[in-house]
Amino acid sequence: MQEQTTQARKFIGIEELRPLPEKPRLPRRPPVIVFDPARCTGCSTCEMVCSQRNVDKVAPVSSSVKVVHSEEQGKNFAILCLHCREPLCMEACPVRAIDKDEAGIVRIRRVFCVECGICTLACPEAAPLQEPFTGRMRKCDLCDGDPLCAKHCPEDALHFYRGKALGWIRLLRWPVQLVSFLLLVVVLVGTFCSFTAGIVSLPCPTGTLQNIASTQTLVLVTLASALVLIGITILFGRVFCGWVCPFGFFLDLVGSVVPKFGLPKFLKSRMIKYGILAGAVGGAAGLGFQPFCTVCPIGSICRSYGPGGVIKGAELAIVPVIAGLELGVRRSWCRSFCPVGAVLALAAKIGIIKIVIGAHQCKKFSCMQCADTCPMGIIDREALREGIAPKIPMDECIMCLRCVDTCPYQSAKIRFRWQKTIPGEVKAWTYS
Amino acid sequence: MSRRDDIRSVMVASRAFACVECGRCVAVCPMAEMYPNFSIEMSPRGVIKKVLMDADILSDEHLWYCTECNAGTDVCPAGVSDRDLIRGLRHLAIVSGKVQEVRTCQGCGEQYVPVHVMEFISERLKEEPTEFLNMCPACRRKVYLMRNA
Repeated sequence: MQEQTTQARKFIGIEELRPLPEKPRLPRRPPVIVFDPARCTGCSTCEMVCSQRNVDKVAPVSSSVKVVHSEEQGKNFAILCLHCREPLCMEACPVRAIDKDEAGIVRIRRVFCVECGICTLACPEAAPLQEPFTGRMRKCDLCDGDPLCAKHCPEDALHFYRGKALGWIRLLRWPVQLVSFLLLVVVLVGTFCSFTAGIVSLPCPTGTLQNIASTQTLVLVTLASALVLIGITILFGRVFCGWVCPFGFFLDLVGSVVPKFGLPKFLKSRMIKYGILAGAVGGAAGLGFQPFCTVCPIGSICRSYGPGGVIKGAELAIVPVIAGLELGVRRSWCRSFCPVGAVLALAAKIGIIKIVIGAHQCKKFSCMQCADTCPMGIIDREALREGIAPKIPMDECIMCLRCVDTCPYQSAKIRFRWQKTIPGEVKAWTYS
Repeated sequence: MSRRDDIRSVMVASRAFACVECGRCVAVCPMAEMYPNFSIEMSPRGVIKKVLMDADILSDEHLWYCTECNAGTDVCPAGVSDRDLIRGLRHLAIVSGKVQEVRTCQGCGEQYVPVHVMEFISERLKEEPTEFLNMCPACRRKVYLMRNA
């Protein structure tokens, strides 16, 4: 008996009847209802209009959006389907009755659904509901692209977005990077390491550290001018890495072309760069010259263009090697190796600016576009999946503002460090 | 009232005595997709048969695989409500304290899903973070309220 059933399953399982569709392409502007808890008054208008559409009577039990209240803390929260990018309900459904159409709306196909309720159990918010009048599973279908709840919300706490990204920061960043690349490489030859314009001199902080270590003398003017870059970093984050660094620009160009294969684990640690920095400074003290500066890819690329318009080959030898690292992950040099970045990371750690994602806007990020686009890979996908605003380590952030640029719901923002943006540190999946 | 009478009243309420053993409920049962060891003992037909044979259905672990879906009820020609039958028998099993293969919610302590169903879900979602599976739907919403509002 047992063997017979397994054999029969082999021939006509659900895999053969309704195979899982290919991973659908994410629509460029995924529709979603974004909920702002700061505005919600808990009036339940959304429940009423939703149930009116669902079962043609005003009965909040059968609505697809659910408002939960906390009387002690005076909080209201709307639970609704977010039409995730990779819906868990779709994966868990035993009869493959749930699918995601081209517009990005996750629907239950009525003909196939057997009302087992597994989608509710698989959803982190338990958004699909068993509707008590007919016993059928109900879930939000965004009213086919014109959600009533968002239309009727008196406080505009539910807002229907058809994801629209800012898109103009990119148009600003690439020219700035190009201009600074040309400026540092072609116009001011050999000048990132000690950039001199008249009386102002802006040396590289890592070079300065090595210089101090090797010569054992502290030149106050050099130190003070090196502190200018540190000061900029404290004020604005690592804007140098994201917007100015000529080698970073080069890596961005390379990284947008080459395919990615992932890095081995021992190269992934972000602490390597601090090790290289310590080694460079220590080595400078021992050797009497700046050991890292001779191989520094930023310096090499700056010094490569000679006054006569000739590209000097010898110094550029290190560049293709490091550009090869780009085959692993984007900006892999900046992530784990660059000691210049390490100095700036230490400064950015005490900086006054932070990037927040999901400040009162997007409770659970189904699109993951910020995590996809981040060149440093610092946006925590697990936190996004669980619906927690991810902590962004500002020492690793290069302030390229790609996340701010691409977020379709404009919930990635720049804030001061002291501004409160998330409702307290609540651990995941425990009661307060 | 004895336990047998309880079972009998559950059978009457869900019209299970009208079962004609046509096997349509087994044909549409989603458990066949969910469990590799799906057998007639798990199916509503097998459960009804066992009750009629006077077997000890309440301490039978096969009672705890059903997802309480509506597929069998939809197709049944005799109008047996499989969902009510399984629910009633599970209720009796819990109150008589025989087998309790039920997951308990970490937040409120409600018994919200049979163990086997939850095993199926967590196997399907094994690439995802699944801490939320330990909570009943109502508590998940409450956690969202606490965390994000």
